[in-house]
Amino acid sequence: MQIDASLILNKTTATLTARLPLIGAALLWSGFHAWALHQYAGFSWEISVWDSSIFNLVLISTAVLLGSLLNYFPRTGIFQITVGLTLVLAVGCQWISAQAMVAINADETGYLEFLSQSTPIRWVIGFVTLTAVGVSAIYYTRWMELLDQQTRESDLKNMAREAELQKLQLQLQPHFLFNSLNSINALILTLPDRARQMVLQLSDFLRLTLKRADQPWVTLAQELEYLETYLEIEKVRFGHRLEVVLNIEEPSRTWLIPTLVLQPLLENAIKFGLYGTTGKISIELTAKMNSNQLEMEISNPFDSDMQPASGSGFGLTGLQRRLYLIYARNDLVKTNIMTNTFTVNLTVPAKP
Amino acid sequence: MIKAVLIDDEPLSREILKSYLRNYSDIEVLEECNDGFEGVKAIQQHQPDLIFLDIQMPKINGFEMLELIQPAPAVIFITAFDEFALKAFEANAIDYLLKPVAEDRFQKAIQKFLEKSGQAPNTTELLETMAKAPSQSNRIVVKTGSKVKIIPVQEIQYLEAEDDFVKIVTAEGSFLKNKTMSFYEQSLDPNLFVRVHRSFIVHIGQITKIEPYQKETHMAILRNGQQIPISKTGYPKLKSILGI
Repeated sequence: MQIDASLILNKTTATLTARLPLIGAALLWSGFHAWALHQYAGFSWEISVWDSSIFNLVLISTAVLLGSLLNYFPRTGIFQITVGLTLVLAVGCQWISAQAMVAINADETGYLEFLSQSTPIRWVIGFVTLTAVGVSAIYYTRWMELLDQQTRESDLKNMAREAELQKLQLQLQPHFLFNSLNSINALILTLPDRARQMVLQLSDFLRLTLKRADQPWVTLAQELEYLETYLEIEKVRFGHRLEVVLNIEEPSRTWLIPTLVLQPLLENAIKFGLYGTTGKISIELTAKMNSNQLEMEISNPFDSDMQPASGSGFGLTGLQRRLYLIYARNDLVKTNIMTNTFTVNLTVPAKP
Repeated sequence: MIKAVLIDDEPLSREILKSYLRNYSDIEVLEECNDGFEGVKAIQQHQPDLIFLDIQMPKINGFEMLELIQPAPAVIFITAFDEFALKAFEANAIDYLLKPVAEDRFQKAIQKFLEKSGQAPNTTELLETMAKAPSQSNRIVVKTGSKVKIIPVQEIQYLEAEDDFVKIVTAEGSFLKNKTMSFYEQSLDPNLFVRVHRSFIVHIGQITKIEPYQKETHMAILRNGQQIPISKTGYPKLKSILGI
């Protein structure tokens, strides 16, 4: 409750502050008006101040009225409506203030004559002032609406961003899951013990996946632990030709990285590495800190007859997309092909 | 005897197919392949009657592999998860198995194959659909002699109609593909490739100059100096994409 009250208070103060210049300008104009009458038309201070106060008070009240009135008009043709309305109101303002002044200064013939002579000028002043106020009010409203719209749009973008991240993360799963189940299905026939072990590994993996669903950032150490579970399953799927060498420098272990950044890279390395060569393959993963950024390198052997750039598939493009969404940088993933080694360099800046 | 070839990148996945196939004494597995490249070779060598083909494989996928084989043998597709492919299979009444593969489902697929024995299903339409799949539209797989080559679309300079084939021209050379011009006109990214002529589709990034030629026609000059004719109807298409 207290928070609400202070919020309202803040808002009122803010509106008042915003209107201070306007109030100041109105007072200044009224002062000038009175001074000019006294100075150039030669009326007494009393008459000049009366004239200024009444005319300007009527005018300002009408302007305020006009400002709020305009919110109730249709948007199409609002400028024409404003001009027409302003014409009528300007004449009205002059008439009302003239009536009041005649009543107050009934015996000042010189002033009364001036009053009737200055009628067209008062129309013009009234018209110009009211039009200016009306048009500003219209633009102000539109501007506020635009700001509102922009806020909503950026909120929407953020939401879409989150949704896309989640979708991309999900995309990593179904293939892996169904393929693993297929492997288990095969193992049940030939190596039931191994099948049972794999069911448990798959469960561990799924549990970790679920756990991190609402955990967008993890330390490198946590990610590595997760990947080990993943690798154990991949080893079963792809046979024991697969070897992964980790070379992690101690300080980088605590660095925060977005979840599932490493997995697609590893998946890629496995896919390209395993069947490009015969025999055992080794995938190397190194991590070190460099000028407050985590630098990682994943390399795998590959067949130089292949064109990995075109076949990188979901792994690399999806990762690049994710990193761009998170860091707004396109230069975080670099690939490098040397005769028989395919290397991916990944830079992970500090969490934004 | 029915000759069969298994093409799947996972040994265990082939294992289960083999174990199911043991009940069919008249089906002989001649070779097991780890990827599409091996698949192409094995099919050329053995001319099998039936292949079991995984879709998600390293290097080239199952559809790309099949594109390289003329005529294609009867195929039973195997996939873990691919909604796009499933729709295409159903639309073309081609049999497929989902991983994990169930034995009764497997038997049904074999039954279906035996009933239609001798006549391989027409996979042309299926392959046309799949070639337009988002995952596949960034490259074209071609065969040169016994070698398989993957061409990333950004490396294509232009495509030219040549009888019943399409010649795909890259910096490394040109490759023939048994497809139509209108197929590539539809499947390639329309913001990059424009059919400027009945017989030519050009990669707009390769164009350096456009010069007037004979009346109402133009000539595009590519980076390597190659001239590509632009027809009367092709010119406005090219202009609108280049924004001139």
